Amino acid sequence: MDTASHLSVILDLSPTQWHLSSLPSNTHPLSVASFLSQLLAFLNSHVAIKHENSLAVFGALPGKSVMLYASTETGSESTELADSNTYLPFKLVDATVVERIMDELDALGDPEEEEPIALVGALTKSLCYINRVMSPSTSSAPGGGTSEDQTTLTDPRILILSVSPDLSTSYIPIMNSIFSAQKLKVTIDVCKVYGEDTVFLQQAAHLTGGSYIYLERRDALLQYLIMSNLPPPPLRLLLSVPTQDKIDFRAACFCHKNIIDVGFVCSVCLSIFCQPIPVCSTCRTKFPMKTLRRLNEAMPPGARNPAGTPSRATPAPTASGRGTPAPGGPGRGAPVPSGSGRGTPTPGGPGRGGSNGSSRPPGGSSITAGLANNLR
Amino acid sequence: MPPRRISDVNYMDVDSDSDVSIVDDDDFGGRNKKGKGKATDKKKKDKGKSKAKEQPYAWEASYTRSWDTVQEDEAGSLQTAVADLMARSRRRRLLAPSGAIRRTIIRHLILILDLSSSMLDRDMRPNRFDLTLEYAREFIVEWFDQNPLGQIGVVGMRSGLGERLGEMSGSPQDVLKSISERHKIEPAGEPSLQNAIEMARSSMSHLPTHSSRELLIIYGSLTTVDPGNIHETLASCIKDKIRVSIVSLAAEMKICREFSDKTGGQFGVAMNEGHYKDLLFELIPPPFLRSTTTTTSSSTKQTTSIPADLMLMGFPTRLPPTSAPALCVCHSALKSEGFLCPRCGAKVCDVPTDCDICGLMIVSSPHLARSYHHLFPVKGYIAVTTLQDSPPPSQNCHACARPFPPPITSTISEGMSPLSRYKCPDCNNDFCTECDVFVHEVVHCCPGCGK
Repeated sequence: MDTASHLSVILDLSPTQWHLSSLPSNTHPLSVASFLSQLLAFLNSHVAIKHENSLAVFGALPGKSVMLYASTETGSESTELADSNTYLPFKLVDATVVERIMDELDALGDPEEEEPIALVGALTKSLCYINRVMSPSTSSAPGGGTSEDQTTLTDPRILILSVSPDLSTSYIPIMNSIFSAQKLKVTIDVCKVYGEDTVFLQQAAHLTGGSYIYLERRDALLQYLIMSNLPPPPLRLLLSVPTQDKIDFRAACFCHKNIIDVGFVCSVCLSIFCQPIPVCSTCRTKFPMKTLRRLNEAMPPGARNPAGTPSRATPAPTASGRGTPAPGGPGRGAPVPSGSGRGTPTPGGPGRGGSNGSSRPPGGSSITAGLANNLR
Repeated sequence: MPPRRISDVNYMDVDSDSDVSIVDDDDFGGRNKKGKGKATDKKKKDKGKSKAKEQPYAWEASYTRSWDTVQEDEAGSLQTAVADLMARSRRRRLLAPSGAIRRTIIRHLILILDLSSSMLDRDMRPNRFDLTLEYAREFIVEWFDQNPLGQIGVVGMRSGLGERLGEMSGSPQDVLKSISERHKIEPAGEPSLQNAIEMARSSMSHLPTHSSRELLIIYGSLTTVDPGNIHETLASCIKDKIRVSIVSLAAEMKICREFSDKTGGQFGVAMNEGHYKDLLFELIPPPFLRSTTTTTSSSTKQTTSIPADLMLMGFPTRLPPTSAPALCVCHSALKSEGFLCPRCGAKVCDVPTDCDICGLMIVSSPHLARSYHHLFPVKGYIAVTTLQDSPPPSQNCHACARPFPPPITSTISEGMSPLSRYKCPDCNNDFCTECDVFVHEVVHCCPGCGK
């Protein structure tokens, strides 16, 4: 346990979800302000636990991801923050993170419709950062002066603090990020602060050997974080960290971005579809009529939901329902449990505001401003 | 590494010292006269060669001498030259495969290992056989990583016979076990290409049409001892659409070349250890589906484009080790871990499998997802050559937030950015060289646009 460890924290900063989270109708309301104060305590304890520990904080905002803080990058303006009553590294982390979050929230503006959270961007950025810092770069960037931390950085891990539901359009990018995390031997921990379980992040934690924690007492966030996410992965073998209950290996289909548990798979490219289609939309392979007929008989649209599996939307097999492959297709898919609200999807349409199951508060700007004010 | 030729010639009398004696002859006095003589001869010859730039042998023509391309920069350091070389080779690899997305993803491969006595040659360290086993293990692990739904079988060529070392299997552990016991596959005798290929062919005959059938032959010998006409075997391989790829450790043989050319496989002769590994690992990514590009006549073309099918698959729920134990349907054993079939709710021990109750094919979706980056590759980034057209150039790489290095003034090769900036055509963000390569080779997802 003598080696230093690196921690990348990804904050899900969706204004809508945080607003919903702070509503007093929740059993344990949690506002951004109290979330941040608990988080900063956790970050400080990570910095304090070993001098060489490194830290990076990324923020996933609607449609945008930013690096909020990296312990290897700062160091120039550290003197002006000096204060005899605080430990300078703590002060540096706290001030930078809060300041950057406020800047970003202020810059959000007031979009009519909140864009989906750029979790993928934040995840890939943190992977790029870890890759860059871990492997001594061939053309070492001058000015970074990072030769000493390149050698000490071991046990990198990523902690995702998630509040948003699964974004089924980002299924493939998230899976790709998970596999690259596996290659880099990065552990991904997930802490679900608000909302339903997310299938993709469960898989992320499972595949990389991390822990997935669903907060039951959300006011005890700090307790959860310190008990299960502070110790580095090798040390966790000795502790009993909460394990995952069930892991859902469901996937998102390529045609409508529904999350399905029984699907039709093209044998050439392994694309997943939620209904039998005559031509694969990814690789343009034609399927024999014989199979289509057999599959259609085997799976009548009404009887698609046996044996108590969680229900989901079964789009009516219309002719317009096929085609329109993945990239940039229908936006936010419905979250898993409440997905039955989506009937026939409109392929190619904007489709962003799929019924979210939860009441959406009006106007993005007031929430954003409210959040920023909360912090002040 | 051309010295291999030298060590080939005289490896009997100067075994491991031949490399050293080239460098410093003085240490060896008269102890190793023959080796020394050879070594100095070779030195002279090399010198003459580099001066006159002549190519004495045809096979040397295609060989680029890597040390000639390395040049010191102004400060006399090799750092930038090495970095440049690496970056260039990485980018070349990156740019090569683009376009076609139809690849065969469900693959069946039979690995044919030469276990003849020629594998005991020591021209590769420690010897061909041990190196082959080592690389084969790495190959198998990496292969399953990228082709999670594939299967590998292993066949050995020894004493003129084909020997089945491992049955076709989808689990890397099974395959690795078949080549783990070294004493059981000790090389001996002569190899028989025909026997081994016939054996492999017979074990692939039952496979479904939508999967690929491939043979990978690692061949160390320069001869083959066949019971019949090997060209008939070749014809039947073409008929069965078996793709034969051969990695030769010794030299090119006409029959090997013919096999790989006519069946659409790859053929390569390993020049050194690193090249050997490269040749093997080139065969890992799923091959393009050859539907129309093959030389087959138009009548058979229609049959080649059909082998696709829509399959019904289920994505299970995994039960944690802490759940209540229950009987599994596959072994009737009491277990707490397991996977639940999404259609009938039966509990199976392992995936991928077919549900014993309802017959649904159960796969874990991460298995499928591993191959998706072949389908939706990241767009290649464009090398930024000037900062003029982009109004406010960002100071830091968009992905890793490191500042960009100062512009390189020395040798700039094509496709490289002098500013070490690479721009995504979709989101117009700049990335550094490391992140460019990392994004395209590992992450397969652009950090800027998240696609």
